[in-house]
Amino acid sequence: MTLSLLFFVLMALLVVGLLLWASRPPKPVAVSVENFFDVLAENRHCTRLPQILQALNPEDERHLQSSGREDMASALRNDRQRIVLEYLDKLQEEFETLLEVSRILAVMSPELTAMQEFERLSLSVKFGISCSFLRWRLRLGLRPWNGFGRLSGMASSLARTVEQATSLISERSMRETQFPPPV
Amino acid sequence: MLVSTGMVGLLHLHDILWLLAILLEIATIALLARKQLSRSYPFFFSYLCSVVTQSLFIAYAYYHWGFRSEMAWRVAWGSQVPVILLRYLAVVEIIRKTLGKYTGIWAFARGFLSGAGLLVTLISLLFSKGQWQWVIMNANRGMELSIAAVIALLLLFSRYYRLTMGRLNRSLATGFCLYSAFYVINYSLLEKHLGEMANFWNFLGVLTFLASLLLWISAVGRRQEVERLELPRMISLEVYGRVSTELNLRLHLLNRQLGQFLSSEDHKQ
Repeated sequence: MTLSLLFFVLMALLVVGLLLWASRPPKPVAVSVENFFDVLAENRHCTRLPQILQALNPEDERHLQSSGREDMASALRNDRQRIVLEYLDKLQEEFETLLEVSRILAVMSPELTAMQEFERLSLSVKFGISCSFLRWRLRLGLRPWNGFGRLSGMASSLARTVEQATSLISERSMRETQFPPPV
Repeated sequence: MLVSTGMVGLLHLHDILWLLAILLEIATIALLARKQLSRSYPFFFSYLCSVVTQSLFIAYAYYHWGFRSEMAWRVAWGSQVPVILLRYLAVVEIIRKTLGKYTGIWAFARGFLSGAGLLVTLISLLFSKGQWQWVIMNANRGMELSIAAVIALLLLFSRYYRLTMGRLNRSLATGFCLYSAFYVINYSLLEKHLGEMANFWNFLGVLTFLASLLLWISAVGRRQEVERLELPRMISLEVYGRVSTELNLRLHLLNRQLGQFLSSEDHKQ
């Protein structure tokens, strides 16, 4: 089998695969042209990271284990795993909502910034991979919250800074749109 | 003996399929004209007309110079040039109809799809044989692969941005893409044995083209009325710039949070 044959056949099969994948019916979405600015202004799960990190402090579990309450420590571990998975679901949901908003925005814009569009695409790929990776680690019992306490302060300040910066932009943008109010 | 009987049978079947394809092409042209789609899809209409003309042209060449003559071979492949160009224009027409109403996306996608199409054609030519006799055939395969890739990217674009793509446009694009992809596979697999397997190669080519024609004719036939052109609401470039920056910041934040979960695990190890 020559390199040329391999290249052409694989490329053609890849193209057919992409065609079939892209032809699947799209998932229903909750964001629309009418409500996408409201979605932007909604509360964000990412701002709750410090509380989540605080709640997942491994000290409690260690204390229970050292005092011989292994069953309670195990229950606590399971609860924490469930909380982290739920939080991950919410983070992903929020990420996908933001992506939906960006798509609506792109459809309505007279011009797109290629860099920003590609950046978003790359972020969504990275996020998807990291999310799946983390979920599998959690399901396999590899608990990732041992260093949460250490991270808590760092995440808190980061969330606050970005939150302040982005809220300002969002408010200005909302004031400047020429949309009639939704009926 | 068995082989020669099989080849004769294939030759007859190929002739029947070829005639069937010409009849279906004429039927699609008539249907497009009757539904007044020849004006809204001028390149697709011209492409189908060129395919019918090419079939008659090749039939004359084979009759006049013989199936195995070099002259017939040159005429057949030479006539492929305008057909493939019209094919490409018909695909551009479908892309424009799908993305054209979204000003920003159209401007963005135009450059991206053109670049991707050109790149695929050039890479295909690099992988092809160097002899001049193969230039048209290799360029043809390169353009077919490029057409298929561009259509797949168009559908990915439409899916990513959740754009509405009419049933007719989707069927036309799918037909073009499937035919082009199978053409590339067919040509690549039989490239080394094209001389002795020309009939089988032609047979597979006509068969895949028939499948595309059936897809097109069914889509054109089912089209009841002119699709309503829903223009999207527009926002100013400034608003796009600001909100887009904000969205990317927030996406970065979420990604960073996820990174923190992962790095906390790494610290543990």
